[in-house]
Amino acid sequence: MKHILFLITLFIGLGLTAQSKYLTKKGAVTFEASVPSFEEVKASHSAVTAIANSENGEFAALVLVKGFRFKNALMEEHFNENYAESDTYPKATFKGKITDFSLEKLSANKQSFTVKGQLTFHGVTKQLDDVKVQLSLNEDVITISGSFLANASDFNIKIPKVVKNKIANDIEVTFDFRLKKK
Amino acid sequence: MAKNKTLRIGIIALILAAFILVFGYNYIYQDHRNIESEQAVFSVSAHDISIEFSQNLQASEEKYLNKTVEVYGVVSELNDNDLTLNDNAFCAFSAPITSSLEMNSEIRIKGRCIGYDDLLEQVKLDQCTIVD
Repeated sequence: MKHILFLITLFIGLGLTAQSKYLTKKGAVTFEASVPSFEEVKASHSAVTAIANSENGEFAALVLVKGFRFKNALMEEHFNENYAESDTYPKATFKGKITDFSLEKLSANKQSFTVKGQLTFHGVTKQLDDVKVQLSLNEDVITISGSFLANASDFNIKIPKVVKNKIANDIEVTFDFRLKKK
Repeated sequence: MAKNKTLRIGIIALILAAFILVFGYNYIYQDHRNIESEQAVFSVSAHDISIEFSQNLQASEEKYLNKTVEVYGVVSELNDNDLTLNDNAFCAFSAPITSSLEMNSEIRIKGRCIGYDDLLEQVKLDQCTIVD
C-alpha cells in the first residue's frame, strides 16, 4: 500500500513538474561595454541554460563565463584572466521571478513584464529589481528577451587606468531565451 | 661620412619600428584558438565526465575548464547546432551539424569544456566537431 501511494504521488509530482517547466540550453546573452570611436568591447554567448516555471513565473539562468566569445582573441583572454577571472568564478547566475506572471496572459504577441531577482557574477550577488522583459508564447515555446545595465564596479571588476577610457563602466546586457516546454 | 652614419641609423630605426609594428599588430589581433586542430588533452565518456563534475566540482573545473576534450557517448538529443550525449554532455557546434547523425548512435566529439551546468547536471562544451 505504501509503495502504491508513493508511486501515485511520484507520478502526480512528475506530471506536475513536466507540465510547468520550460527550458533552453542555448539561450543567447550578449554584453557590450564599448566606448564610441574605440574598438568594440562586446561578447556573446549562445549556450546559456535557462529554466522557467510557468505556474509561478520563477526564472533561473546559468551562464558558463568561459563561453563568452569576443571578436578579438586577446580581448577574450584578458576578459577571462583579468576581469571576469573565469577560472575562479566560472559561473554567472540569475535567479528571480517574473512579476504577475501567468501562462494564460501570454500570446504570440510580445508583452512587457518585469523581472526581479539576484544576479551573481564574479563572486558578487546583486539585486536587480526592475528588469524589463518581453514575453511571448508560440506553440509551447516561451520567448523571453530584454536588456539591462550592469555596473562593472558593482561586481568588483576593476578596469585599469590605461584602458579606462576604452571600456565603459555601464555594461549593457542583452538576452534572448526560447524556452521549450519539457 | 657623418651623413652616411645618420642615414644608416635611420634605416635601422625604420626597420625596427616596422618589426615592432608587425609583431604588435599580430599580438593584438592574434587568431582565436582553433579547437578543431588542437590535440585533445583528455578523452572520457560523457557519463564519466559528468560524474566527475558532480562529485568534485572544483577539482574537475581545474582539470577540464578551457581544455580541449574528447567526449564519447550515445546521442540523446539532436538539434541543428548542438547535440547532447547520454543526457550528460551538451556539445555546442559553431556551425550547423552537416553530417547525417542519428539519435542513439554512438559518436565521439571534440570540443572545449566551458564548465558544468548544475541546473541540468550536464557538462557543456563549445566549438565542437565530430571526431568519429
